[in-house]
Amino acid sequence: MNKEYPGLIDFSPGFLLQPVLKKLQIMIDAIKSALKSACCLVIFSLLTGGLFLPTAFAATFTIVTDLLGRSVKVPADPRRVIALAPNITEIIFALKQEHRLKGVTQFSDYPVEARKLPKVGSYVQLDLERIVALKPDLCIAIKDGNPRSVVERLESMGIPVYALDPRNLNSVMETILAIGMLMQAENTARDLVQTMQTRVARVQTKVSQAASKPGVFFQIGISPIVSVGTPTFIHELIEKAGGTNLAAGDTPYPRFSREQVLGLSPDIIIITSMTRAAVFERVKEEWSRWPNMPAVQNQKIFITDSNLFDRPSPRLVDALELLARLIHPEFIKENQSP
Amino acid sequence: MKPPIVLKRLMTVSFVLLLLLLAAMLLGLSVGSTGSSLTATVQTLWGKNEIDPTLAAIIWRIRLPRVLLAALVGATLSVGGLVFQALLRNPLAEPYILGISGGSAIGAIIGILLGVSPFPGVSLFAFIGSMATLLLILMMVSGQTILKRESLLLSGVMVNAFCAAVIMFLVSLTQDSRLHNIIFWLMGDFSMVDARQVAILAVTLLPGMILIFWFAHPMNLLLAGKEPAQSMGVHVKAVTVTLLVTTSFMVSATVSHSGLLGFVGLVMPHLLRLLLGPDHRVLVPACILGGSTYMVLCDLLARILPEQGEMPAGVITAMIGAPLFIFLMKTSKR
Repeated sequence: MNKEYPGLIDFSPGFLLQPVLKKLQIMIDAIKSALKSACCLVIFSLLTGGLFLPTAFAATFTIVTDLLGRSVKVPADPRRVIALAPNITEIIFALKQEHRLKGVTQFSDYPVEARKLPKVGSYVQLDLERIVALKPDLCIAIKDGNPRSVVERLESMGIPVYALDPRNLNSVMETILAIGMLMQAENTARDLVQTMQTRVARVQTKVSQAASKPGVFFQIGISPIVSVGTPTFIHELIEKAGGTNLAAGDTPYPRFSREQVLGLSPDIIIITSMTRAAVFERVKEEWSRWPNMPAVQNQKIFITDSNLFDRPSPRLVDALELLARLIHPEFIKENQSP
Repeated sequence: MKPPIVLKRLMTVSFVLLLLLLAAMLLGLSVGSTGSSLTATVQTLWGKNEIDPTLAAIIWRIRLPRVLLAALVGATLSVGGLVFQALLRNPLAEPYILGISGGSAIGAIIGILLGVSPFPGVSLFAFIGSMATLLLILMMVSGQTILKRESLLLSGVMVNAFCAAVIMFLVSLTQDSRLHNIIFWLMGDFSMVDARQVAILAVTLLPGMILIFWFAHPMNLLLAGKEPAQSMGVHVKAVTVTLLVTTSFMVSATVSHSGLLGFVGLVMPHLLRLLLGPDHRVLVPACILGGSTYMVLCDLLARILPEQGEMPAGVITAMIGAPLFIFLMKTSKR
């Protein structure tokens, strides 16, 4: 390498002035030494097992199996946790372990205190750099949504990632227990799950008295019209709340034309969307133009908070109670949360 | 064969462009979502006084792979544009405009949807896609004189429209969560590579670049026309086929990593030709270095401009390149 640079400069003495050449030579030397030390650094860090973060050395570790069955080496007492999805943030707050939480994703807006925490991108488009800059000792990820490439890269940088896969009420409870275990809050987690189970059981006892199971069309997308199939937790909530999911089927998020929805003649239409209230009203009005539909005749078109239904969090029980109230108002009159 | 004056020019040009590239890369390494500091970056790269290990990890393991990928992709697409412009004797030819990139994207998406391994599976599918579009374009323009600018461009536009439709068709067919990633990747995304993938890509691309440089002189002769080149001892068909296939292979390799980046093959070749003249022996290395610089800077813009998150680099390249395309079309009409 050393001999190449002067040779290069010899080719063009007429083109560049001599003093400039000298300065360039100094610059080249500087760049070379920088590259050299960079190489040393990289080799050193490779030898020491990657560019680990200093916090990772201090703590004691335990090896646990995450909910995807992978074994992960996690700190026994994690102090700098990043929740890579809004529902994980909600669970950590519900377990009163928010002092461990050092970063959340963009739409983590519940509870209100979560909004103040540093953001690391949205859960589908995570900002790797921000995550690393927060020096986490543990990241908690979900299987559906968080890109696998990000998880792999975090792990390659020595940051443990505990992955979850909450798909229904039971697995949300499992998830809560797992996070409780990670954060030394087993008892709080057990109590929370107990409360959730009691509330679910109460709703089911009430709606089991109902004679019919009204057909529910649950609309999560406006244009195109998208509903929820059997492999979703919203389907489970509809069934548990004493309704029939009209979009049941293998496709998780089936698309519908307006014609198809009319053909299903839903008794109840429930709309959630991330868009503004004015848009909800317009969609409601649009459906109201079809007076033959039972949902229109009975005035059963409802608008609900999408965050309650988008996130497999402890608030799913709130969602269940809300659904039960909308589907069977005859049994459950007002908010009956204990 | 090569007079020393060319070598001298080549060295000077390469040296200046290399400095520019290093400056752009330093800038690229200094800027990120967690703050930007040139001095801190230089200190970290230097490795002298105490380094913040977090910043070191961010610079070496997050920003460096992405900057290197941007450089590789920019180099490939620019030199690809140069080759297409020389072989088809058409100043507006470019991998994206001709639909080569679109064909690679179709192949790559089919590969992703079939769930084959990212490397070599998806790359292979992308290559097949690019070869199919290349064949399609050559079939459409054969028979007529290849040089006819409008017919070649029109074929390219149509191939491109067709590719876009097929991509939307494939994306609409799938219902799974990979969909979001595909759409973002399509617009040119550098954020998700690690050092290993960049190294593999570099090893894949390097022989192609050397080969193109090897054929720089025949490309010069081809500029004069098919018959004169033939009489100068250039095996026109062999050179054309070798270069087209090599370039398409290189383009498809970059597309399967970073999606569609339009018009990159126009900006640098035209700018450099304006500055340096039409000699491909100088232009090929200049395009490799200049294209890298251009793309590193485009990626930098894509990271700086949005307040939250980042935008795909393809947005930037198209916003710069498409107006230039129109300008070139208007001025080169004689």
